[in-house]
Amino acid sequence: MSEQLSFDYQPDPELGTMIRAALDGESPDAFVARLRAAVREAPRETSWDVLSRWAPAGLVAAGIAAALMWFVIGPGQPPASSGAMLASAPVQMDLAPGQPETDVITVSLVEGR
Amino acid sequence: MAARRVARAILRDDDDADDAVQDGVLAAWRAIDRYDPARPFRPWLMRIVLNAALDARRRRRVRQSEVLHEGYESGGPLPDRTTDQSLFRERFRQALNGLPERQRVAVVLFDAEGYAHAEIAEVLGVPEGTVRSYVFHGRRALREALGDFKEEKA
Repeated sequence: MSEQLSFDYQPDPELGTMIRAALDGESPDAFVARLRAAVREAPRETSWDVLSRWAPAGLVAAGIAAALMWFVIGPGQPPASSGAMLASAPVQMDLAPGQPETDVITVSLVEGR
Repeated sequence: MAARRVARAILRDDDDADDAVQDGVLAAWRAIDRYDPARPFRPWLMRIVLNAALDARRRRRVRQSEVLHEGYESGGPLPDRTTDQSLFRERFRQALNGLPERQRVAVVLFDAEGYAHAEIAEVLGVPEGTVRSYVFHGRRALREALGDFKEEKA
C-alpha cells in the first residue's frame, strides 16, 4: 500500500486492488445473468401505479372532509358567507397537513416534472 | 461488480450480499420513473443497493443473534493457513470488516470503485468533508493493521 498524505485526494490503486480481491466473489457472469433474468421478470412501476395506491385513501379522506363540512355548515345553508368560511377554516386547517389527498397532489406534482 | 462488493462490505456474507444487490437493482428498476435525470445515476443506484444491504442486515439481525458475529470481528486468532498470501488476505479482510460501516463503505467506494468524494457523499447522504474524514480514518486503520501483520511476519 502506498504511503500518502493524511487527506489523500486520489484513490490508492494498491489498496483498491486488495479491497477488490477481498470482496470479489466467484462467477460474476452467473450473477449478472441472474440479475438480468430477475429484471426481465420484474414488472416496472409507473407513475399511475404510485398514484393508484393513494387514490382510495384520497377518496375516503375527501368523503370525510365533505361530511365534516356538511356537519359544520349544515344542509341547505346558503353559499358560505365570510363568517361561515372563518368558522370552518380551523377544521380545514386541522385536516390539511399529512392527509392523503395532499399527498396525491404532491406525488402528482413530483411525478409530473 | 461495484454494487456486489459494497453489499459484501456491509453484509460480510456473499449470498446475503447477492440477494441484497438483486433486491436493490429490482427496487431501482421498479422506481426508475422516479429517477431525476438531472442527478448522477451511479450514486442514485448505489444508494438504493446500499439501502437494500442495510435492510437485509436489519432483517438478519432479527433472525440471528449478534453473538455469532463477535468472534468474527474481534480480531481473534487467525485460522491456520498454508501460505502467507492467504493469511495476508484473511487479515486484510478482517481489518476491512473491523472498520466502522461508513468508513468501510467510503474506502471501498473511493479506493476500489473510483467514486469521487462528492459521489460518495451522495450515496451516504453526508457532507463531502465527512466522506474525506471516513476515507482518511479507514485507510489509516487498514494501514496500521497491515503494518502489524508485516511486523509479525518479519
